[in-house]
Amino acid sequence: MKVGYMIMKGSCENWTEYFPADKFSESLYEEFESRAKNVSTEVYRIQSLGDAKKIVADIISDVDARKVSIAADPMIEESGIIDAIKAAGISCYTTKEDIAANRHDADIGISRVEFGVAEFGGVCQNATAIEDRLVSTLPPLHIAFMKSKYIVPGVEDVLDIISRTFDSGYISWITGPSRTADIERVLTIGVHGPSRLILIAVDDETGGNA
Amino acid sequence: MTAKRNLRREINEKLQDDVLRGALGLFAEVYPAARERALGNVEDVEALRDQIKQTKSETVDRIEEVADQFEAEAVKRGATVFRAKDGDELKAYLLDLCQKRDVHRIVKSKSMASEEIDLNDALIKKGVRVKETDLGEWIIALAGHKPSHMVMPAIHLNRYQVADYFTKELHESIDPDIAEMVHTARVTLRDEFLEADMGITGANFGVAENGAIGLVTNEGNARLVATLPRIHVVIIGYEKLIPTMTDAMPMLRLLPRGATGQLMTSYMSIISGPTPIMVEKDGAWVEDTKELHIILLDNGRLAAAHDDTFKEIYQCIRCASCLNVCPVYELVGGHVYGGHTYAGGIGAILSAFMSGMDEFKDFHELCIGCRKCTTVCPGKIQIPDLIEEMRRRTVKDQGLPFVTSRIFDVMTNRRLFHGLLRAATIAQKPFTSDGLVRHLPLFLGGLTKDRSLPSIAKVPLRDRIEEVVRPIEEPAKKIGFFSGCTMDFVFPDTGVNVIRVLQDLNMSVVYPDGQGCCGKPVSAQGDVEYTRKIAKNNIAAFEEFDVDVIICACPTGVEQIHEYPDLLKDDPEWAERAQAMADKTREFSAFVAEEYEKAGRLTRKQKRKDAVKVTYHDSCHLKRVLDIHEQPRKLIDASEGYELVEMKDADKCCGMSGSFGVLHSKLSTQMLNAKMKNIKDTDADIIACACSGCMVQLQGGVDKQAPGMTMKHVADILAEELERKKAD
Repeated sequence: MKVGYMIMKGSCENWTEYFPADKFSESLYEEFESRAKNVSTEVYRIQSLGDAKKIVADIISDVDARKVSIAADPMIEESGIIDAIKAAGISCYTTKEDIAANRHDADIGISRVEFGVAEFGGVCQNATAIEDRLVSTLPPLHIAFMKSKYIVPGVEDVLDIISRTFDSGYISWITGPSRTADIERVLTIGVHGPSRLILIAVDDETGGNA
Repeated sequence: MTAKRNLRREINEKLQDDVLRGALGLFAEVYPAARERALGNVEDVEALRDQIKQTKSETVDRIEEVADQFEAEAVKRGATVFRAKDGDELKAYLLDLCQKRDVHRIVKSKSMASEEIDLNDALIKKGVRVKETDLGEWIIALAGHKPSHMVMPAIHLNRYQVADYFTKELHESIDPDIAEMVHTARVTLRDEFLEADMGITGANFGVAENGAIGLVTNEGNARLVATLPRIHVVIIGYEKLIPTMTDAMPMLRLLPRGATGQLMTSYMSIISGPTPIMVEKDGAWVEDTKELHIILLDNGRLAAAHDDTFKEIYQCIRCASCLNVCPVYELVGGHVYGGHTYAGGIGAILSAFMSGMDEFKDFHELCIGCRKCTTVCPGKIQIPDLIEEMRRRTVKDQGLPFVTSRIFDVMTNRRLFHGLLRAATIAQKPFTSDGLVRHLPLFLGGLTKDRSLPSIAKVPLRDRIEEVVRPIEEPAKKIGFFSGCTMDFVFPDTGVNVIRVLQDLNMSVVYPDGQGCCGKPVSAQGDVEYTRKIAKNNIAAFEEFDVDVIICACPTGVEQIHEYPDLLKDDPEWAERAQAMADKTREFSAFVAEEYEKAGRLTRKQKRKDAVKVTYHDSCHLKRVLDIHEQPRKLIDASEGYELVEMKDADKCCGMSGSFGVLHSKLSTQMLNAKMKNIKDTDADIIACACSGCMVQLQGGVDKQAPGMTMKHVADILAEELERKKAD
């Protein structure tokens, strides 16, 4: 995970120290995945980080993306997707300056998220760094990388981690794509935020801050 | 100050608004199940509600200290905090900030506090471009409307109306296709986000220990508003403050579930201190630090915090669950049942503090007091009680309207009141059309298309006591029967049956002749003095007889007598006596069920071949105040001659509720019609209830809409079962 911009002390970087590893179980992941899918999140669970390349390539070709903005992170870098995207001739922005300059029309944003929450099928993102927010709020499609073993049971657990690790900054819980029901209460996906949220959950112990 | 509202005219208009009726009706239909489903993975909802109530009530008791800590922690992290006493101070601060920082364009995500003080108008007047970005808020801004619901501000509009507003705004033809319109909103507002100099958000909570604010949203606009512009202004009311991060837990679990039936909204952001932004300088993008301003808005909130009763409004988390189950809101929506910003019963109370008492007086009477809201409110706010207390205060300050006070004079004078009621049996027509009596807050309104109003019985219950009361040797208990006016004068047969059922249990029954009105119609209007007079009269009437138990077969009477001790607690002569009466007073069906159980008579019986089908209507106050809903059903189940069939929404208000049924007869009959449909759908022969107020309403509905059915009190059913057994 990136060491982002910090106003005072680190915002959420050391969260893994407080992660309730003993609470993880396969069934917790399954609950997380099924609830995530219930709110229209697309979930890919992969064994090894390298498997992400094909998934991302397929998504890019599926939506015919021309510009991809990536909030760099060791896990994403190790996955090899950046080189793969560039090799395919797609514009790929990885610095905050480039991401800002292309904020109008990036087709896909890619970032790392910290962990999932089984109770509601959402993910928790340390969004203090500006590039993390730009890639997850503006493009119509957001791809988020996470470790499948980092799942907490519920709201109580997330707040517990946050209260131990968060001092200042910006944290986002993201639970499915942007949605509204403001016209006739008809559920409509994709208002101001991304209309698709794709999670890539990696089993691999290596990569990033395993 | 706007002109005084004409509530009746507004109601009539809304009752004819098919778009609104369709939308609200459908929502009321689907909401309870959606909420229930969302609560499916919450083990103990009550514990969470208790936690919210506790956290918020403990916080409000030391609100200044918590606010000071919140401010200090936010400032420590680089935010600027401003305390605004009212809207004017807030606007002056913001306008000054706009000028100093060269702000011309503002994007906003939803903030009810900003609507409360008409912030947008003030900014626009000064030439600042302000855009609401929440889709519903944008739509009503285009329409020039006010929000009609706290969570779904544009629920009163349909797709065709929205398309018209979009067409006007964008100067191009927009099709009434919801997905396309949502996309249009995305495209249109995107530049507003990217070009804005300032973003304004509200906050769902503010955390004292780290100066953080929380934003719970679905569309993603709040994240953009808080991310893109170089200045972020948070407008937060004092009631949103909580001491610690973990205190947000119960709220974050119940708010989305109660508001929209979601386990969690799409986005929940926690922001503490200024965060990085990207700005364009000399053609290059560079990172800079955002300017964060937090404005703590008072505007009446601190006055509420220091009021022992009304500090309860700090338990409101603005989820609108209360509106979503309110039977009156369902019919007229938030423009009628609401004030400048806030809708429904909670809106009346919030308005009293944030906009003033005049606004409270505009629409508080639309709270029918059914208490459905109290069963879902995440903060366990007793909204109807707060409304009654606020009414009491307005009466104390300004007195009752003249006509009402004349009626109360009559009601507290038992002989005169009863004399009038007796006179009504002789000359019913001239009596009911009499100007004075027409306003009696009980049941003497005009006839309507869908509901007949009951006639006064030829012989009231008090004159039939001798025909039914028989001496019981060695009675198991000595009972004093408190009938209440309606059973006395409209349903004396039921009163007779109450006595029969009790005597069958080998209990002796007396009917103190000195008893009168229980006092509810008066106390509901907020008149404490009249209510005290009535209470004393009844206490004295029952003290004449040495009874073990006082039985009332109407929940309102029981509830009211149970309030006598509180009413008279400061009166040394009466306090203990009021307590003694309250301690003895029991509701009929619960008491009989308990006695039947002891006698082994409460088990479900094999039904006779000629058993008739009964559907049972839960009276609001019997179920939600006295928590009595199983007992009447068990009593019916324990009979051989009656088979219970459940109706849909059995515990939804029938629309009577004392004076409401007369004051707002159109709303009342709408509610009755919905109830009658559910009753008829069961194909039952009998509609049963255990409340004389509901009996008035349901009898009226049966007469006009289901002539083949019979309306009965549970006491009637029990007495008839006894008769049949005797005949066998």
